[in-house]
Amino acid sequence: MLLLPSIQPRSVGLIARFELNRLFATPRGWFALGAFAVVWYVILRYGIFEAAVQMKNPEVQQFLMQGIGMLGMNQILAWGEPEMMVFWLVTLTLLPFGVIFFASDQTCSDRARGTLRFLTLRTSRESIFIGRFVGQMLVQTVLISAAMLATLGMTAYRLEQVPLNLLLPALQIIINLLIVLLPFTALMALASALVKSNRMAISLVIFGGGVLLGLLGYLIYLQPSLQSLLAYLPGAQIGQLYKNAGWVTLDYADLPLIQTLVILAIGLLVMKEKNV
Amino acid sequence: MMPMIEAHGLGKRFGRKTVLDNLTFTLHAGEPIALIGPNGAGKTTLFSLLCGYLAPSQGNLRIFGHAPGSSALFGQVSALPQDALLDPNFTIGAQLELYGQLQGMNKATARAEAKRVLQLVELPEHLNSKPTALSHGMKKRVAIAQALLGQPKLVLLDEPTAGLDPANALQIRQLVSKMSGETTFLISSHNLFELERLCGTVLYIEQGRLVQQAVSGASSRGFMTLQLDQAPMEQVLAACRALPGILDARSPQKQELVLEYDPQLLTEADLAILSLLRREQWRYKQLTLGQTLEQQLFDVAG
Repeated sequence: MLLLPSIQPRSVGLIARFELNRLFATPRGWFALGAFAVVWYVILRYGIFEAAVQMKNPEVQQFLMQGIGMLGMNQILAWGEPEMMVFWLVTLTLLPFGVIFFASDQTCSDRARGTLRFLTLRTSRESIFIGRFVGQMLVQTVLISAAMLATLGMTAYRLEQVPLNLLLPALQIIINLLIVLLPFTALMALASALVKSNRMAISLVIFGGGVLLGLLGYLIYLQPSLQSLLAYLPGAQIGQLYKNAGWVTLDYADLPLIQTLVILAIGLLVMKEKNV
Repeated sequence: MMPMIEAHGLGKRFGRKTVLDNLTFTLHAGEPIALIGPNGAGKTTLFSLLCGYLAPSQGNLRIFGHAPGSSALFGQVSALPQDALLDPNFTIGAQLELYGQLQGMNKATARAEAKRVLQLVELPEHLNSKPTALSHGMKKRVAIAQALLGQPKLVLLDEPTAGLDPANALQIRQLVSKMSGETTFLISSHNLFELERLCGTVLYIEQGRLVQQAVSGASSRGFMTLQLDQAPMEQVLAACRALPGILDARSPQKQELVLEYDPQLLTEADLAILSLLRREQWRYKQLTLGQTLEQQLFDVAG
């Protein structure tokens, strides 16, 4: 690919690290961390913890087993403890939406402010684009890992022992979530390269997604065989992930990885051609 | 010697509007170069093309033999873009350090460079300040500081002293003057007084076209500029025109005369004028050999 030689690994590393600093070393980042902590406290305390306690009740367990069986989600029990199952279901559902908001300002405000002009005199636009994307993924890795650690801590509190058997499932969940979030983060990188504010990037993705779904719905109405196209949309594999646990979940990683590469390639073209 | 900047048939259109039209010029490294033109002439667009922020619609542009924005120019060409601001979330030092590292410096060198360039613009105490804590003029000086990181061969300054108080404007002029040996500055400004004192070469752009590319002083032979204090303008004009060797005398501004003379016929033109003024007891403020940059440009433009 012609754009790849323009990506300078050292610059990508520096820019990605700077994005981590944005989270940990700026008031804006501290505010985001504070909001993240509050949201996760609510999810953990009143969502995951309560659900885990309820799921230990034999009657509730029996009811849930029937429901899980009916939905074909028996494999989800392989995550080990109720906290892990609920964490898996909650994060798979919420995080892709969260990323649309959280990762919306990758290059747009720098473009509007003119800061991109300082950067493009020192490194390639491609390095800036990929650096910001990698930075966002690093930030998400840190935040998801922190949420997982809190969940493990809460499980240990309930079990009154350190759940060492959950470390491998925890790693599997983190890896899976990051793969799920890759195309969404790439999509926000692309949207951010197209517009001049994070609000516009969010609107573009939501509006664009709505238009795309509406168009696909109409086409499928006209030609039902086109329904297979839905399987190529970002997040299309999440339905399958709900039903699985363990390393088998990585069987569904090819779609998001390919989607990510395609979206990033389009984003690199946009970044290269667009005025700064 | 390879030219610093080469433009051939350079053009830029935004939709149907042609902002730059068929610019062809060659600039060599050395003395500061002025880029002059009225509002909307296309100066900032030319700057943006030189920095690689915009792609030309037509023609060819090379800086040190490379396309603007190419990786070979990183660290070699820097700029003060108009209205560009640093990220308000990070300290000035952190951002300058990042820029230095992107230019290839290690962390310690980049940190030292950040301190050095802030010292150059006399803002060393703001290394750990956020850009939001600075006044407009200070922000401009910090933006100039970032352009001086490392050892750029070419620095493009778009309106470097606009919005600065006279003391700071003078300080920036002195800085440019001092660094001119190792770095070539291309300066866009409306302040002809400033450019006249700094620049050796002038590019004059009007309505997207290059009207004049001149070396300062080249057209000054055979001209004098006289600023009167208290004197009857019409009588002075008439008396000057009557002097042998004076080809033309005109008054472009109040109390100012531009005299064109034949250096062969009037070998000591300044003495002849001073003698005339003394004889008639007309008081004057200043007699300058040559034309001001303003007169040169507006003669051509007019």
